[in-house]
Amino acid sequence: MKNTFASLVFFAQKINRQHIQLALVILSLVALVLGTGAPLEGGGVGR
Amino acid sequence: MVLLLAIVTGLLGGLTWARWRKQPYRSPNLQHLWLAFVAFLPQFVVIFLPVTREILPDWLAAVLLIASQIMLLVFAWMNRHMIGMVILLCGAALNFTVMTANGGFMPINPQTASRLIPEEVLRDFPTGSRVGAKDILLHPQDTHFEWLADRFLPPIWFPYQVAFSLGDVFIALGIFWLLAKPQSSVQFTQKGISI
Repeated sequence: MKNTFASLVFFAQKINRQHIQLALVILSLVALVLGTGAPLEGGGVGR
Repeated sequence: MVLLLAIVTGLLGGLTWARWRKQPYRSPNLQHLWLAFVAFLPQFVVIFLPVTREILPDWLAAVLLIASQIMLLVFAWMNRHMIGMVILLCGAALNFTVMTANGGFMPINPQTASRLIPEEVLRDFPTGSRVGAKDILLHPQDTHFEWLADRFLPPIWFPYQVAFSLGDVFIALGIFWLLAKPQSSVQFTQKGISI
């Protein structure tokens, strides 16, 4: 339990502002691409 | 899916290039990120949220799709200082044009659709009905800007079948460039464009 908590803290410390910024940028680009693109894929039929 | 693949490959390309040059990867310097999320919300309601996807009438879905695309175009326009975004903006504008001209949905002709949809299923979709998330089944002669519609297909032997438009090609190229070369910028001056 103590070890798990320690490793969580360790990973949390490794996440810095740049990582969060990159994640937000990628999420916004996913929204942009899904929102503006309109391919029709096989199997994606119906509503 | 095919467009998400362009994001993944672009990001991998950018990370590899940064590692090759022994520099940290720097993400694209995008402004007004909030606008992309707000702009996507109507599409989330129309396409991805099962409850609303089933009950929304087609006319309202079309209005929400168009409104969402206008906001996404504004977001792309505000970030046009990057080459990748300029390419993406062109693709988004092409898709927006053809969708707006055809009632808010992306037209696809029955022959193209028959490569993606089994014959017996396709018979249940009369011309003018919606197929997939954003498409509408229309004959070429009834389609405005037919050359911008979902009319391209991969070779028949290719395991992943998808119909895509010219705009989709530009969007995929733009997003790849944006993530693979995030620092390449473009400047609009009175004398023209400098890269």
